[in-house]
Amino acid sequence: MLHDCKARLLAGFIFLLLAGCASFGPQTRELGKNLPADFPQRTELAQVPFFPQEDYFCGPSALAMALNAAGAAVTPEALVDQVYLPGRKGSLQVEMLSAARRQGYIAYELAPQLQDLITEIAAGTPAIVLENYGFSWYPVWHYSVVVGYDLPKLELIRRSGFKPRLTMPMPVFERLWRQEGQWAMVVVPPDRVPATANETRYAAAVVALEKSGHLKNAFIAYNALLKRWPASLVGQMGRGNSAYALHDLDTAEAAFQQASREHPDAAAAFNNLANILAERGKFSDALVAAERAVNLGGPLLPTTQATLDEIRPQAEAAARAQEIKAQEQAASKAQISPPAPAAAPAPAVAPKSKPRKKRTPVS
Amino acid sequence: MKFLSRLISQLLILSMVLLPFSTQAGMISTDQVVTSAAAQADRAKVADFVARADVQKQMEVLGLTPANANDRVNALTDEEVQRIAGKIDSAPAGASSSTGWIIAGVIVIAVLVYLYWK
Repeated sequence: MLHDCKARLLAGFIFLLLAGCASFGPQTRELGKNLPADFPQRTELAQVPFFPQEDYFCGPSALAMALNAAGAAVTPEALVDQVYLPGRKGSLQVEMLSAARRQGYIAYELAPQLQDLITEIAAGTPAIVLENYGFSWYPVWHYSVVVGYDLPKLELIRRSGFKPRLTMPMPVFERLWRQEGQWAMVVVPPDRVPATANETRYAAAVVALEKSGHLKNAFIAYNALLKRWPASLVGQMGRGNSAYALHDLDTAEAAFQQASREHPDAAAAFNNLANILAERGKFSDALVAAERAVNLGGPLLPTTQATLDEIRPQAEAAARAQEIKAQEQAASKAQISPPAPAAAPAPAVAPKSKPRKKRTPVS
Repeated sequence: MKFLSRLISQLLILSMVLLPFSTQAGMISTDQVVTSAAAQADRAKVADFVARADVQKQMEVLGLTPANANDRVNALTDEEVQRIAGKIDSAPAGASSSTGWIIAGVIVIAVLVYLYWK
């Protein structure tokens, strides 16, 4: 209790200081002008759970709140080992992102705009923000979770420290938030794209999830990405790659077919299409795609060239085998009575029977 | 730290020169589709390797076990590693302990007193 009182007292002092030197920040001032007319005046995401923070553990508890709101069942204690740095007595921003991914969720950093922050809240996604209660020369960093806003009152509603519901005037928040570059992140399930997401940065977030090994979720997220941005090359490639990794060759082939059709300059699309076609025994089509990938050149040339070098002999062998088969059929048609098994040379190369080794993506 | 990264980069250079260079045929990862040509250069890969080793070492210095530090570095993207490489001591680390609050409060009061009496 004593601790609580102290904190309140200190918060009061800090507030006085801030109120003294803070007029409205530029983002608070601009806020009303840029919002659409039908934007909700107030929102509060009451369903976001609250985990009180133990000493120094505001990172794990803020992250646990965001993750649980996104559908995960995880406690702050379970996240301590993934984000907390004992020597810093705190958690780094990049690890807040990576730890969310480790649970299989998308971690997305918002644009440094108050408007984007409240747009996400209005869309139902709470946001983790980084505030600095100290000074640039004596920082006191703190993560909290913004769960609501009230535009007429110019207030934000946060879950912070020991407080499940703490309101803060937006100008004060803006000041605390500005020192670290207005940093905010959201955690969303793979089937949901954040309301303010930008195509390139969201795609990067999904790629990071794919690299973390959550392939099923990455596949779902690529589909969500393509729903919002159907022409995205990263989306089409990622859909193909994650489907391939999940052994869904039909979907993978279709994705690379689409990517190579819609992005005729993307060597990677042709390279991967060639690999899948070869794996499925469609050697002549594979050869065409592999040649196209090499002709496009670019930084991926070493890989595309290696793919072509591997597919070309297979395609030639397949063509030869087919020729022999055709000759055989012609011969058996010509002399119907004896089957003459010795006449035909045994197939020297049987490319279809040889299983292709599992490839590891080059990175 | 410097010594370690120098040793690693020298070993890397040596292995790149001496070992036969071969590119595997196969699928191109989504990651490679997004990263720029510059980031795919071997030089960038060496830089990334060194940065990862550096961050992992720093994390161990800051109290993580080697295994945990390794897990956590591996969970970061290349871009995230670059963001904290060499800055892990000064990068913002959200914490807000009660002592932090008290010290901050003392400073605030000192500033207020100073402003008032000046």
